[in-house]
Amino acid sequence: MIKLRRTTSLQRTQQRMTVLFILPALAIYGLFVLYPLLMSLWGSFFSWKGLRMQEFAGLANFSRLFVFPSGARLYGALWHNIAWFFGIMALQNGLGLLFAWLLFLRNRGAAFFQSVFFFPAVLSPVIVGALWRLLLAPGGIVEWALNGLGLHQGSLTVLGNSHTALGMLIAVDAWNWMGLPVLIYTAGLRQISPQVFEAAKLDGAGNSRMMFSVALPLLMPALGTLTTLSFINTFNQFDIVYVMQGVQGNPSYSTDTLVTYFYRFAFGAEGAVGITDIGLALALGTMLFLILSIGTLLMLRFFDKRTVEL
Amino acid sequence: MSAPSLQQQLAIPQRLARLPGWTILLVWTAAVLLPLYILVVSCFKTTAEIYDNRLGLPQSFAFDNFVRAWTRADLGHNFINSLIVTGGAVVLTIVVSAMAAYPLSRYRLGWNGIMLGLFLSGIMLPIRLASVELFTLMRSLGLLDSLTGLILVYSAIRIPFAVFIFANFMRVLPSELDEAARMDGAGEARILFQIVLPMVKPAVSIVAIFTAIAVWNDFFFPLIFIFDDRYKTVPLAISVFVGQFRTDWGLVFASLAISMAPILIMYCLLARQIREGVGAGGGMK
Repeated sequence: MIKLRRTTSLQRTQQRMTVLFILPALAIYGLFVLYPLLMSLWGSFFSWKGLRMQEFAGLANFSRLFVFPSGARLYGALWHNIAWFFGIMALQNGLGLLFAWLLFLRNRGAAFFQSVFFFPAVLSPVIVGALWRLLLAPGGIVEWALNGLGLHQGSLTVLGNSHTALGMLIAVDAWNWMGLPVLIYTAGLRQISPQVFEAAKLDGAGNSRMMFSVALPLLMPALGTLTTLSFINTFNQFDIVYVMQGVQGNPSYSTDTLVTYFYRFAFGAEGAVGITDIGLALALGTMLFLILSIGTLLMLRFFDKRTVEL
Repeated sequence: MSAPSLQQQLAIPQRLARLPGWTILLVWTAAVLLPLYILVVSCFKTTAEIYDNRLGLPQSFAFDNFVRAWTRADLGHNFINSLIVTGGAVVLTIVVSAMAAYPLSRYRLGWNGIMLGLFLSGIMLPIRLASVELFTLMRSLGLLDSLTGLILVYSAIRIPFAVFIFANFMRVLPSELDEAARMDGAGEARILFQIVLPMVKPAVSIVAIFTAIAVWNDFFFPLIFIFDDRYKTVPLAISVFVGQFRTDWGLVFASLAISMAPILIMYCLLARQIREGVGAGGGMK
């Protein structure tokens, strides 16, 4: 009886303390993250005059988003994001797997290489973008080196050329984040039991067979994490484009992404006069939110199904 | 022939077979280090010297570019703003997240699971898409052009990750720990800050490191919330310099070096913790 009363009084204290302890975090998180996000989703169904919400408009903002002149920009930006995602998957997560495998085969020096490879990832994308903008500029050091090696002649304009600019930005982004797949894959490889590799070696499997037929299927959780993270980061891509090519995604919108497009609608740099269109900004935001959440859920399920248990 | 020499004969081709692998690893090492090397040596060169002497060491290690970046471009001011915002956000995030994670991970109450889920769902939320409503909110709260405003927004964004880390570490502590303290009459706040928090130091350092990196590097929120030069942070100032001082390469290189210095120092000191944190959680950005 006494014991029972004591637990309930403890529970009552705990309930009171829980509320007290959670309140500060919940207030900050709720006010500055949840509330604006919910309001943005809700607001995309209304018409707007400047920053003022007008009457309910149904799907009017969304249909405006897909027609001329916004439609062409939208498809352009969406295509750039998709290309960016596949570029990162091949360049960053593909090369990263090779690097991680090579480090895994050699025990010596793994920590050193991992630290070097990961270093750019702790730098601001602004610094990375600014650095590569200087290196790749006409008259910059990359031009000088390529001319010196006889691989290129004259002025290097890869960032000013609409055929090459997007590829350059993807490569810079991969340079920035290469350390992430290397760290996540090596952590994954080390969790695989050494007996698995020994058994494969006894069966006569070479290094490349071992990587693709033995290690890769067991690395599905790592690959899933990386694919999902790359997907989220790609569809949030803004900083590198802004610093290297400007908020219009120069030259002639060839490096425009959904978030730079969103930024122009929201904070006014779209069109010659640079006025905002909050209705379109919020509709684009809601669309991106759907792309991101549905895409993330599908990817998590896809990799969950393919996870091999040993 | 004796056995060791036979082994040696076998060892050489084996080492040769490893050569392509080492080459690949060294090529990427060069791809990472060369740009950073050029960044560092260019800081000490005049623009003319940067063109004349591309790869070599500077003629003299003059700090002229650094001085000009710090004073004329006023990077010193931005630097202090960034330190205040980063420090404030790290402390606020750790305190409120540890407080929230403590009851959620250690009390057995019915709705704790739902509450924890609400926090964790924030890890993946694309908060940039809410920036219009966030801007309106900040304006009505008088938090535009304010370092406090930035601290609050960054803490709000980092809280989900921090609660996740703290809850994971606190959950595995033995329950006798707080029960014994409770017997001795310690209050819940004392149990959290004097007993539980010191036991989860690795969690504190993971949260501190990744919050500091994310906040120090961010450029999006200053871009939309800060208009007054007095409150600009380093990344925002850098993004302006790159256009403004386009032809003054020495100055831009020096400001890049200054802005990455704190992160570089932290990285050299904490490389192992950072590697392990990323390998374990993958929770960056």
